[in-house]
Amino acid sequence: MKVLKTVLTLLFVASILLTACGGQKATEAAPEAATEAAAPAAEAPATEAPTSGGGTVIIGTPQEPGMMNTLLTSSSIEDAVVSLFDEGLVSVNEKGEYVPVLAKELPTVSEDGLVVTWLLKEGIKWSDGSDFTCDDVRFTMEGALSDLSQVSASGYRDIESLDCPDPYTVVATFGEVYAPYLRLFSYTVPDTAGAMEDMESWDINRNPVGTGPFILTEWVPGDHLTFSKNPYYREEGKPNLDSVIIKILPSREVGMQLLGTGEIHALWDLTEANFPELEALAADGVSFVSTVTGENELLSLNFGANDGTAPADPSTAPHPILFDLKVRQAIQYAIDKQSIVDALLYGNVNPGNSAVPVGTFGCPQPVSEFSVEKANALLDEAGWVVGADGIREKDGVRMSLKIATTTGNQLREQTEQVLAEMFKAVGIELVIENVPSDVLFASWESDGMRDHGTYDIVMYTTGPSTDPDSHLYSSFHSSEIPTADNEGTGANFSRYINADVDAWLDEAATITDTAKRKELYCNVVEQINTDLPRIYLYERLSIMGHRNEFQGLKISPTFVDFAWDAANWTLEQ
Amino acid sequence: MYTYFIRRLFQSIFTLLAISMILFGLISSVPGGFMSVYTERSDYSPEDLARIRAKLGLDDPVPVRYLKWLGNMLKGDWGNSISTKRPALEEIADRLPNTMLLMSIMLVTTLLVAVPLGILSAVKQYTWLDHISTTLAFAGQSLPVFWFGLLLIIIFAVTLKGADGKPLLPGSGMYTLGEEFSLADRIKHLILPVTMLTFVSAAGYMRYLRSSMLDVINEDYIRTARAKGAKERIVIYKHALRNAIIPLVTLVALDLPSLFGGALFTETIFAWPGGGRLYFNAALKTDYPLVMAVLMIESALIIGSNLLVDFVYAALDPRIRLS
Repeated sequence: MKVLKTVLTLLFVASILLTACGGQKATEAAPEAATEAAAPAAEAPATEAPTSGGGTVIIGTPQEPGMMNTLLTSSSIEDAVVSLFDEGLVSVNEKGEYVPVLAKELPTVSEDGLVVTWLLKEGIKWSDGSDFTCDDVRFTMEGALSDLSQVSASGYRDIESLDCPDPYTVVATFGEVYAPYLRLFSYTVPDTAGAMEDMESWDINRNPVGTGPFILTEWVPGDHLTFSKNPYYREEGKPNLDSVIIKILPSREVGMQLLGTGEIHALWDLTEANFPELEALAADGVSFVSTVTGENELLSLNFGANDGTAPADPSTAPHPILFDLKVRQAIQYAIDKQSIVDALLYGNVNPGNSAVPVGTFGCPQPVSEFSVEKANALLDEAGWVVGADGIREKDGVRMSLKIATTTGNQLREQTEQVLAEMFKAVGIELVIENVPSDVLFASWESDGMRDHGTYDIVMYTTGPSTDPDSHLYSSFHSSEIPTADNEGTGANFSRYINADVDAWLDEAATITDTAKRKELYCNVVEQINTDLPRIYLYERLSIMGHRNEFQGLKISPTFVDFAWDAANWTLEQ
Repeated sequence: MYTYFIRRLFQSIFTLLAISMILFGLISSVPGGFMSVYTERSDYSPEDLARIRAKLGLDDPVPVRYLKWLGNMLKGDWGNSISTKRPALEEIADRLPNTMLLMSIMLVTTLLVAVPLGILSAVKQYTWLDHISTTLAFAGQSLPVFWFGLLLIIIFAVTLKGADGKPLLPGSGMYTLGEEFSLADRIKHLILPVTMLTFVSAAGYMRYLRSSMLDVINEDYIRTARAKGAKERIVIYKHALRNAIIPLVTLVALDLPSLFGGALFTETIFAWPGGGRLYFNAALKTDYPLVMAVLMIESALIIGSNLLVDFVYAALDPRIRLS
């Protein structure tokens, strides 16, 4: 007994010491950065205007970033946090429009669409004091094209040569027209980072160098990341804040508590399901900001047989119920989108209406009509007769459909129940069979249900990023139907084929004229709403809760990027 | 004794190898996998996905990947975490002190609560003290951990305020952000998670000790001790407890690997930056080098502590050696 006690006491003491050391070690990384930071600040006369600046904002997030190198990031929290220090030649503002950042203006494109030119702002420095020039842009491209990178090489792959006629001019010559050229170089990597083949062990992976307003000075794994002012930031007197701390929280629920007590100033990545809690916290000084992401919560309807045949052309093996356009129209008429929005989302979002609702290429459409009579009439017309149990039948087939979404999402589960009632009102049975998200989104090799078409209806969220090119193409082009022949690539899970849509998408991918592309995409959006491979339920929002004393938070619709305007954040003290 | 030792050691190594095979197979057959991070996003082309998959070594068949992993591990290279690119062992070492701090304090407080209560409730069987402590133990074992933790937070970190108007106790984290390390601050942050863990785990130990004490107290040699006139204190602590506590020591020894594993629920509720959450998140992301490293260390510790208990038993009890 005595021995045991001694051992345990020793363990206890040892672990207290260990943690104390651990804490110090983590802060040891800071002095280097801090001393470097101190030097130039001392040289430059203190020009900072004595405004209401200063202060430290703590932002809670339920996910932990693993990596600060933009070429190797893979999660949305990483993409969001890096924008505290990383900037691109262009960025996307809160309205979903492209704006120049490190470039003087948006890039210009030659008549034939093959030569794109960026003019860089002059005098910009990285946080290590070196100049930002065209060489860094070239290095960024080489990084994206490297075998080691984990970012999309789309677009960069098509660049035949990238020239630097002078340090502040970037000229990219493409082999073939790359329509979404505006989205290129939305991030930059300094060419001092190291040799390309050592990318996974670069110092900047955990000790990043950027041109943005803040720079990482401390990272305690599992706990928090501290970002302090970048002394080389180009704008005088900016950023307003002294530092930003990203606090890693175990869950949104805990985050809500801490937001209420004021232990954190903002909480990242909330969902529509958090509206009731946010309203309850309003009395404690909490508000929220939101932006339409361009994504929709939607129903994807399967045109092909749901038995795993995975036909390249659904007319060879059609879905017994959903292949008929009249049935799909009836389903859309049966859904009262506005009542879903009012009842489940507290009226805070728009009913879904378009595959591309906002942004430079936005093409909003009228919300579909809700009419039980029209739904019933269409189903009668299609030959579906109401049976003894109130569910329609035709040629021995019962009108029973399965719906699947991700498990554990209360809002989605409630939406399904409401849908089941709406379907029942027109004589369609909706059976709810949900699966975990990695099963729902599993790939072709992992027998993914969407890829193999082993579903009737799946409900999930997707949408275009700022440029709808890849989203619309992969969702609706007939070549993007996942089959054994193409090893399941593509996201045309409805197995939707329309020759006009194919032609419009092909054309839009080969031109750079924004107005013309928008027109073509609008054609696609309208045709989708006619043929109904997907039914858009409601528009998704990016939401962040914040305390009222923390101002200036603006979310950009690309993913959940909240930090793009961090230089202008303020904190009232 | 010597042959017994060798035999058990070989058995353990073989068991570890078998465990590693099963674990690797299970992790590799998880649907989705690490690639689902990329496939869910629309801006990745099929070429991008193929390149990333090849880079992550996911193109090889599972047995080949297993052999590669095993070969590297035997050479001391446990692989890099897929999401942070840092060595898996470094990731674990970052969190280990935090986990050990929480869990070892929890073990001490648990024993400090469980041992006296277990003895008292056995000696004073069917008194009010016994009833209260067995009821509490019953509650401790049945309460949902997360519910109890949230209750503690609401009471002590939200509702009750200290003299300065701030919450009485911090409800999350290991220290106050932006302040220098101080022992008082650290202890404040430990109170709620340790209370919760102690309440839940002391219950099991206490009931165990109570029943083993009751068995011993009714033995003939206890009656003999009393008959020869030994004081009640001596009877209980020298004669009874010494015999009754051996099974508890075994139990504690077998629980020691949890010092490494951490407590997922507690860490989650109280935002404790320990290992449990790291391992859980790694499993969610199918970050298999990290998951494998964690599970193998944990397996080795469990097998190691079993081995230790066996050897102690063998040393104590000659009958085990002969079989």
